[in-house]
Amino acid sequence: MASVEIKNVRKSYGSVDTIHGVSVGVSDGDFVVLVGPSGCGKSTLLRMIAGLEEITGGEILIGDRVINDVEPKHRDIAMVFQNYALYPHMTIAQNMGFSLRLARKSKDEIDQRVKDAARILGLTDYLERFPKQLSGGQRQRVAMGRAIVRNPQVFLFDEPLSNLDAKLRVQMRTELKDLHARLKTTTIYVTHDQIEAMTMADKIVVMRDGVVEQFGEPLELYDRPANRFVAGFIGSPSMNFLDGTVVVRDGKQMFESANHTVLPLPEGLDRAFEGKKLIMGFRPEHLQVSEAPEVFEVTVSVVEPTGAETYFVGNANGDTITGVLRDRIAIASGQSLRLLPRLNAIHLFDAETEQRVN
Amino acid sequence: MSIPSNSAPQSGSSKWNRKRKLTDWAIDGFLILFGVMMVLPLLMLVANAFKTPQELVSWPPTFIPNNPTLDNLTAVLNDTPLLLWMFNSFAFATLSTIAILATSAIAGYVLGKFKYRSLNIIFLIILATAIVPFEVYMIPLYFQVQSLGMLNSLWGLLIGYLVMSFGIFLIRQNVIHSVPDELLEAARIDGAGELWIFFFIVVPLLRSALGALAVLAFFQAWTAFAWPLIVATTRESYTIEVGLALFQTGFTVDLGKLSAASAIVLIPSVTLFVLLRKNFVEGVAGTGLKE
Repeated sequence: MASVEIKNVRKSYGSVDTIHGVSVGVSDGDFVVLVGPSGCGKSTLLRMIAGLEEITGGEILIGDRVINDVEPKHRDIAMVFQNYALYPHMTIAQNMGFSLRLARKSKDEIDQRVKDAARILGLTDYLERFPKQLSGGQRQRVAMGRAIVRNPQVFLFDEPLSNLDAKLRVQMRTELKDLHARLKTTTIYVTHDQIEAMTMADKIVVMRDGVVEQFGEPLELYDRPANRFVAGFIGSPSMNFLDGTVVVRDGKQMFESANHTVLPLPEGLDRAFEGKKLIMGFRPEHLQVSEAPEVFEVTVSVVEPTGAETYFVGNANGDTITGVLRDRIAIASGQSLRLLPRLNAIHLFDAETEQRVN
Repeated sequence: MSIPSNSAPQSGSSKWNRKRKLTDWAIDGFLILFGVMMVLPLLMLVANAFKTPQELVSWPPTFIPNNPTLDNLTAVLNDTPLLLWMFNSFAFATLSTIAILATSAIAGYVLGKFKYRSLNIIFLIILATAIVPFEVYMIPLYFQVQSLGMLNSLWGLLIGYLVMSFGIFLIRQNVIHSVPDELLEAARIDGAGELWIFFFIVVPLLRSALGALAVLAFFQAWTAFAWPLIVATTRESYTIEVGLALFQTGFTVDLGKLSAASAIVLIPSVTLFVLLRKNFVEGVAGTGLKE
């Protein structure tokens, strides 16, 4: 096991820069998730750590060794690919023992380590089969088994669950997390699915357009997103955003949106914000039905009951508002709701820089 | 009221059934007819090998010989070094197949998987050579073989048949299609060297394509005529195609002997095709579709 240090790493293809100076420190034993929309550079960054892409600038260290010019096979890493990358003409045992065979380990040792990994992953009965005889989830486990047998310093995962169906994905998510808890190997995991990131990570790196937007623990990203992009990316359904200004009504600071919806603000806000253009954000799950005087009214257009919660989409003076209510209240399209966002869960961003201000 | 309304759909569906059956029969009949037309010359060839000279030219021709005779076969085997020619052809075709498989697999893999701009140009040049007919550069090649002192030898024959541009193209397409990048990357991370990857990952995955190419390459050399005709000029160095042509002189055709020799020559070709048939069909069909 080892730490991974990414120092001001850049990547260009010809004159096109895809990664602009990324710095991330991964501590020994951590499970770090790189997340972002497609094309944000997360897979490229992972492939640079693996040695499958050249590093244009900056340094990557595994442990205290700079690995910029080290061949992939000498980096002491194992990678799990999205499409599993199992060798179709080899049995499961041969697939899992492949790297050990290349490292010229004895046959007994290979057998032993393959069997150990197979036991951990519940693959013991399948060792003599071929990849095409297994289901998607089993293939995924074989791919992980191939990584485990090597006992590497770092595990790299490139969207390993995105080829699985929804139910299996949730199950494998738990298995992976459990595996990491047992092996405690430093893990870097790429996904575009923020729920995967939130549930599995010790720390999350949110990327966009080759830049790190925020690096922190999952709940830190949820509670205090550093900018509007992270605020919108983390959480499902997405955060509501309203453009507007801070105004003073009856001696109290309020937020008035461009469409003149007026919402309350937490007390003690810096007076410098008054009159300034801001973006207010609040999460759908932080809306509550209220009879307080500061409520704002939303005309509901779509209701989606999921059983546990009720999702709705509505309209307040032309601002689209999404909400999630824990209570099973009877609402129908066309009705209006009096709502109030939780005051301690209101996020304010600068309208120009989109950076967090409160 | 109910009777006609019930019977109408019934008669409709039975009509449709009958029509479908008729179509099936028509398709079967058509295919059988063409099948017979394809096989008949070969069967006649084998039959002719056992006919007497009189029967060969008699009209109407017989399909099963009236007086089957082995004279043609024994005459061919005694008068000409037919078995030597077959051996020449066999050695030529086998070595040519091995060379073409090796060059196509390596070049196809490199052209299919490695991203260098110069490789695109090389691939274009290879494709361009496929357009030029062999006969165009046969004569310059002949002089090269002559200056190397390899006329009338197996090596001289081989020089024109070491590389097959279609083979490189076929393997390249197969590599792009059935060898995913991740597989090679996974192997690189697992610690495999490039040669190791080629022999133990790429080649096994290309098995059916290489099988198909082997059949094509073997028959290309086995049926080659123009090149062996000018390179192999002594009776001992003839290939079977050139040898067979000898039965046909400027004035006469010895039909009996020609048929007998041709029938013998068919044996290895048919055997090889039967052995590799599965590979061949899979390889050619598999270039388009795969799971």
